[in-house]
Amino acid sequence: VRARQPERCGYAVRDGVRLYYEVFGDGPTTVLLLPPWAIVYSRVWKLQVPYLSRHFRVVTYDPRGNGRSDRPGPASAYDDALVVADALAVMDAAEVDAAVGVGLSYGGRVLLSLAADHGERVRGAVFVAPTLGLSASPAFVARFEEPLGSDADVAGTWASYNADFWRDDLPAFAEFFFGQVFPEAHSTRQAENGVEWALETDGETLVATRSSARRVLTAEELRACAARVTCPSLVIQGNGDRIVSPKDSHELAALLGAPLVVFEGGGHGVQARHPVRFNLLVRQFAESVAGRATGTS
Amino acid sequence: MRAREPDLSGHAVNGDVRVHYEVFGSGSTTLLMMGTFPVVDGRQWKGQVPYLSRHFRVVTVDARGNGGSDRPSGPEAYGDEVCAADALAVLDATGTDAAFLVALCSGIKWSLLLAQREPERVLGLVAIAPGVHPLTPNPQPLEPVDAPQWAGDYPGWVGYHSGALFPEAHSSKPYEDLVGWSLQTDADTIGARTHAPLSPATEEDAVLLSKSLRCPVLVLHGTEDRCQPVARGRRFAELTGARVVVLDGVGHVPHARHPVRVNTEIKEFVDMHTTDVGSSGTPWLFARERKRRALWVCSPIGLGHTLRDLAIAKALRERVPDLEIEWLAQPPVSDVVRAHGEALHPASDELASESAHWESESERHDLHAFYAFRRMDEILCANYMLFDDVVRETPYDLWVGDEAWDVDHFLHENPERKIAPYVFMTDVVGFLPVDPEGDAREAELCADYNAEMIEHRERFPFVRDLSVFIGGFDELPDAPLGPSLPTVRDWTEQWFSTVPYVVPFDPGAYRRPQALRRRLGYGTGYPLYIAAVGGTAVGRSLLELTAEAFALVRKEQPDARMVMVTGPRLDPGLLPDVDGMEKRGYVDSLFEHLACADVAVVQGGLSTTMELTAARRPFIYFPLAHHWEQQHFVAHRLDRYGAGVRMDYARTSPVDLAAAMIEAGRSRPAYRPVRRGGADRAATMLAGLLTGPRG
Repeated sequence: VRARQPERCGYAVRDGVRLYYEVFGDGPTTVLLLPPWAIVYSRVWKLQVPYLSRHFRVVTYDPRGNGRSDRPGPASAYDDALVVADALAVMDAAEVDAAVGVGLSYGGRVLLSLAADHGERVRGAVFVAPTLGLSASPAFVARFEEPLGSDADVAGTWASYNADFWRDDLPAFAEFFFGQVFPEAHSTRQAENGVEWALETDGETLVATRSSARRVLTAEELRACAARVTCPSLVIQGNGDRIVSPKDSHELAALLGAPLVVFEGGGHGVQARHPVRFNLLVRQFAESVAGRATGTS
Repeated sequence: MRAREPDLSGHAVNGDVRVHYEVFGSGSTTLLMMGTFPVVDGRQWKGQVPYLSRHFRVVTVDARGNGGSDRPSGPEAYGDEVCAADALAVLDATGTDAAFLVALCSGIKWSLLLAQREPERVLGLVAIAPGVHPLTPNPQPLEPVDAPQWAGDYPGWVGYHSGALFPEAHSSKPYEDLVGWSLQTDADTIGARTHAPLSPATEEDAVLLSKSLRCPVLVLHGTEDRCQPVARGRRFAELTGARVVVLDGVGHVPHARHPVRVNTEIKEFVDMHTTDVGSSGTPWLFARERKRRALWVCSPIGLGHTLRDLAIAKALRERVPDLEIEWLAQPPVSDVVRAHGEALHPASDELASESAHWESESERHDLHAFYAFRRMDEILCANYMLFDDVVRETPYDLWVGDEAWDVDHFLHENPERKIAPYVFMTDVVGFLPVDPEGDAREAELCADYNAEMIEHRERFPFVRDLSVFIGGFDELPDAPLGPSLPTVRDWTEQWFSTVPYVVPFDPGAYRRPQALRRRLGYGTGYPLYIAAVGGTAVGRSLLELTAEAFALVRKEQPDARMVMVTGPRLDPGLLPDVDGMEKRGYVDSLFEHLACADVAVVQGGLSTTMELTAARRPFIYFPLAHHWEQQHFVAHRLDRYGAGVRMDYARTSPVDLAAAMIEAGRSRPAYRPVRRGGADRAATMLAGLLTGPRG
């Protein structure tokens, strides 16, 4: 049972792709929780929604490729620009003029574009372990589309970050991957959720979301985006992150002139593994940007 | 003494009136603490300035009519418009482009008028008990200074008015402060302001002016405010879109009576509208990765706590080897702590000086310790706020406060600020009057302070996880804490755990003075006298008396020698030179030297006298006059041990003291032994809070 049911849900339709969104709570300030990479979807925010919706109007949505959103086939359907346009389409459908955005992992990359090019719709931006690729990518990324030998035993290693492997055994990859997302001790529940959500999509779709045929922003383009951001920002990063380089968050914070909150000993999923500290930070940030709701205390 | 002196002060000029201001700190954001109805001056913010100036640049203003500002005559000189112009003049004079305004009562109108004239200079407004009169009626207005019943009796009106503003129990100190500030001006000035031209004058104007405010606003308002009804604050908040914090059971001056809450509200409000979160740069550490850490707050009043705390800390480390201890302490305690290789928290340097306060309060061998303590309210508040910052920057597993009165009092006043196990240790419980016959006010105030302490404990027992009384309960006086209150001993027995008195050595090792004398290089075969007065400069008069007495002793005992230890805060050069007398400043492990003495002459401080008791040396002690602890608690405890000869400085001549010294040298002490193991017992209790049942 979910801790909090949405007040409203619906689909934004853009270019024939249906995007499922949910709206929780009310209040003058909207917090938009962007989805990460489609290996998971909006349920990654399950520990944020009940709390944040007591203080703000909260909007979540599922990315193209997972959850209740459509799973278009071709790699070109997962260009960075299209994913950014999805966020705007959801804001339109949910009647959000402007929101405080919170972008986790790949969602951080989406938020950066959004804040840079649609500044009037982003009042403040929280980047959580954003996937930017500003530093050199690990070697396995380059081998993603290389064929795997039929006898290669790559399960349980980064070599399983491979298109063939995903088509063949997505559960094994998900098992390994979420173990890396949550390096902290006592994270079984969080990793289990990750695997469960990954299996709601399929290997072929996930391969498309990572395909080299996609058009994506380069590191230089992302740095230029950061220079165009004018809203207040906050960067949150675990220094034990095994998925993205914590150095990227340091660089982003410096480019934005934004504070960086380091979760020492935190991995890639700090919102799931350290929800209390995370929730308080987001609330405080959103209030600093948009003011606190009037009321007696 | 003030907790924080201004970095800069001066006068702004508005027409022909000079307006006094003070500037504290150097943050990039400025807070202008506005003036108000001139029964106070800028000192009304004494509970805020030390804390806020750690984070912001703070400018305080004396409203015209009080403090260092001029007192022009006639109502025209005190109109709202002209008072707003005063604040603007202070912004100009201090080179402040823009500021957050913090205002009480009438200061809110002046803030509105200031913002109307120059909106870009007002970044935000903290409105305490907003006095925008036309917004709501006041069903029961306070009597004005020129009401017939107060004619010719300004002090009478001041007492009435100040009392009405502090309806809260245990407000004697803020009440007295307010009376003092009100008496800095006169009935004519207060009357002139009372009849000054109002702006806004009508409800319509007041609504328009409030609505015109464009900056963020925070309203703080007490429900028991007799000056400005809380409904007025609520209406003002509605009109300005402000957040209202309604303070239940609180009067007109919350920042004086409830400084911690008001300070944290102001800080949070300003932060919210300036810096982004997390800008302190403090990383958050996954809880299971944290090292065990304790913060030890060690009071500087009396050096004796230091050695017992070091002994307990050492014993605690034996039980919890991975524990890191950080000390929050000021000189002279911090010097001793550092000399023992302990880690001092860097914020220690920012503590307001308690030692300097005590020295400023003492005269000859006289220190009215209770009044001095009471007048230390500002320093205690400043140091609590520093503690409050420190414990929010670093997560601790344990707070230890040895006679940390600041921490203990304000945690009970603000129990929601407690976020770690907290142990309070003390060797004195409650205030006992030193002059119950002659000073009725002292007796009344002591009882009020004790009643507050009892209420604090009974209402919020969770604030302390452990209360440790150092010594046996029978070492406490059996005197009542006040009319219809329990006795010191009974109440302590009920609310404290006890450990044997902690001496920083094994008394058994100090029973052979001759061997010790050889080891410390004193040699043997002559009478050795030692005089010492503890850690502050308070003891100078006693040392002068002792030097004179020793000169007389030398006439009878030509081979006698004296070692006079002046302590870290008293220059030995200030004391006379006497043949056979050696003067020394600070001496490490003073107790070893005392344990060599044939006779010691000391102040009535607990640590020194108990060290002499444990070492079974003859000694003469002089409790400080009017010092409740030395007069009552120490003297009682020494009586229980059958130790020491008590003398009174005011009634002792050098001849008397010389005779007593020679006499004492002939005595053979048979004191009750001091039980061992106090530090170990205390450490075991503390360790339990850190390790749970496993430990």
